Amino acid sequence: MLHVNSISKTYHSKAALSDISLTVQPGESIGVIGESGSGKSTLGKIILGLEKPEQGDVHFRGSNLHTLKGQALKASRRHLQIVFQDPAGSLNPKLLVWKSVVEPLENFPDVIPSFLKEVRHDRKKMAEVLFQKVGLSSELLERYPHQLSGGQKQRIAVARGISLEPDLLVCDEPTSSLDVSVQAQVLNLLKKLQRDLNLSLLFISHDIAAVQFMCERIVVLKEGLAVDSFLTEDLFSESRHPYTRLLVEMSMEQEYK
Amino acid sequence: MIENNTPATCENNLLVVENLSVIIRNSREKLIRNLHFSISQGEIFGLVGESGSGKSLTATVILGMISKSLEVTSGSVKLGQSEITSLSERELRNIRGKEIAYLSQNYQSFFTPFIKVGQQFIEIIRCHTDISRKEAKKVAIHWLNKVHLPAERVFNSFPDELSGGQLQRASIASAIMFQPRLIIADEPTTALDVLTGERILDLLSELKEELNCSILLISHDLKHIINRTQTVGVMYGGQIVEIGKTSAVLSNPIHPYTNLLLQSRLRLNKHIQHELPTMLGEPGSMAEEGCPFSKRCPSVMKSCSNIVPMSSLGSHHSAACHLMNAEREERYVTR
Ligand SMILES: Nc1ncnc2c1ncn2[C@@H]1O[C@H](COP(=O)(O)OP(=O)(O)OP(=O)(O)O)[C@@H](O)[C@H]1O
Ligand SMILES: Nc1ncnc2c1ncn2[C@@H]1O[C@H](COP(=O)(O)OP(=O)(O)O)[C@@H](O)[C@H]1O
Ligand code: SF4
Ligand SMILES: [Mg+2]
Ligand SMILES: [Mg+2]
Repeated sequence: MLHVNSISKTYHSKAALSDISLTVQPGESIGVIGESGSGKSTLGKIILGLEKPEQGDVHFRGSNLHTLKGQALKASRRHLQIVFQDPAGSLNPKLLVWKSVVEPLENFPDVIPSFLKEVRHDRKKMAEVLFQKVGLSSELLERYPHQLSGGQKQRIAVARGISLEPDLLVCDEPTSSLDVSVQAQVLNLLKKLQRDLNLSLLFISHDIAAVQFMCERIVVLKEGLAVDSFLTEDLFSESRHPYTRLLVEMSMEQEYK
Repeated sequence: MIENNTPATCENNLLVVENLSVIIRNSREKLIRNLHFSISQGEIFGLVGESGSGKSLTATVILGMISKSLEVTSGSVKLGQSEITSLSERELRNIRGKEIAYLSQNYQSFFTPFIKVGQQFIEIIRCHTDISRKEAKKVAIHWLNKVHLPAERVFNSFPDELSGGQLQRASIASAIMFQPRLIIADEPTTALDVLTGERILDLLSELKEELNCSILLISHDLKHIINRTQTVGVMYGGQIVEIGKTSAVLSNPIHPYTNLLLQSRLRLNKHIQHELPTMLGEPGSMAEEGCPFSKRCPSVMKSCSNIVPMSSLGSHHSAACHLMNAEREERYVTR
């Protein structure tokens, strides 16, 4: 469904990504991990069509994402949604949160997601269904973003992200700014939605534990290069790249006795 | 104030916080309640708890920097022989930076943009000591080397030319220049990736040994608390609900909050989990009376609306939960 074919990108003559390829099948979840500056977000932005690669191309649902224009581009947008790291920054502070959640549905009046069939005519009812989907109480519908906690805001962002029933959801560090206990809630939610809606997921994070929990396959980026790529169950295998092994080692807890 | 010997009664405690309470002046809302803990010489003490539980606020009280809208209603904070809560602003300024260093999560804003890092080091040094610019530069370079940075280059850089990890190292260098006795590190790695974060904590441990100081490590990441601290205090709703030797608290958590915190943490696993255990209710919801955790506690019972005292389980571990007494009574009755 998504094919990234040997893309490269440079900023100020420094390579941010070199020759990256990856494929995401329908319903599959892929994790991208790496240190700060390794190119994770750049990859995300290119896949979302927000940046253009200098070399290589990205095919999404059969067409080249970076040559699409007009209606075709808009149509592909509907199938491709994102959840960002900063829950505060991704919501309009002046808009009641329920309005933020249904905004994408207003931009695409013809789209009828399966879980909104019965209520498609009623904006408020759609918001209620979406709130329910992400485990938010309907008491919060009439609030502004600053009146919600980080975890609640992030769930609003997820509700918005799934509102059009996209094929692919890109999450860039969706839980890095959240507290441990809230992190667990949001990850459980994402995993459940991914299964229920048969979403494909591209999950970008520097936290291997989060990626291990969420994804079936993992790609490791180091200074713009994909140094390792494997099935999650092989994370601890002897044949892992030394850099992957280092990341794993750093993420382990000591045993306490 | 300089003290040259520690009385034996102090058991080499560097910092002692006793019965500390803080409220919001206007609303009289309690933010910190009867806080009690001490940090001994040379140890790393961890403070863990969800966001809003009062970790940073505790740090600001220790630094004597609490906002004008808040009020300390009871208790004392002693660093060595000095009572922080009764010092003048001038005395406090002398202690901050010199005796206590503060590292924050927002290392991004530690340095002023558009002024070279070296320039800012010189300002800080000359603010605390009476030396020439040339000598001050030597001092700055010395400490930048200590935190394993390319000293000359960083000295001549603007803040935005450095990476997150480099900036955090530079802020550590400037914090330790006066060889403080206590370093307060408030979520020092939260904004950094795993590798960079671990290297920063390695550096802090190394500096602790070299300067023979203590560290108060504030974090919501249990991995760091487990890997790095000797003693831990678990905070919920402005109170420490469990405290003790890190190994004792983690291997035998008593308080339901500590337990849930341990269970819901993300960690690398040999077998992949299908669902992460989570806590009931919303973070930050705090009961007004009795146990602050009672709104979210799976074992809540009638007596939980009464105040819970701290009870100890041996010399290195105590907790504040009615379950402890209930269990004791049960044992007594069945016997
Ligand atoms: N708009 C830009 N202009 C110049 N350089 C950029 C730009 N965006 C990214 N870069 C550079 O490209 C490299 C990769 O950046 P990217 O944001 O993809 O990293 P990342 O892996 O997402 O890091 P983090 O974990 O910190 O989010 C970095 O060296 C970064 O400084
Ligand atoms: N200056 C202030 N005025 C009013 N409330 C404050 C102030 N500073 C902190 N608080 C409140 O005190 C509580 C503890 O905050 P803080 O110590 O920052 O938590 P954390 O454990 O996340 O560091 C929170 O409820 C916070 O909103
Ligand atoms: S005192 Fe009661 S409510 Fe509080 S943690 Fe113990 S059992 Fe739960
Ligand atoms: Mg990024
Ligand atoms: Mg804080």
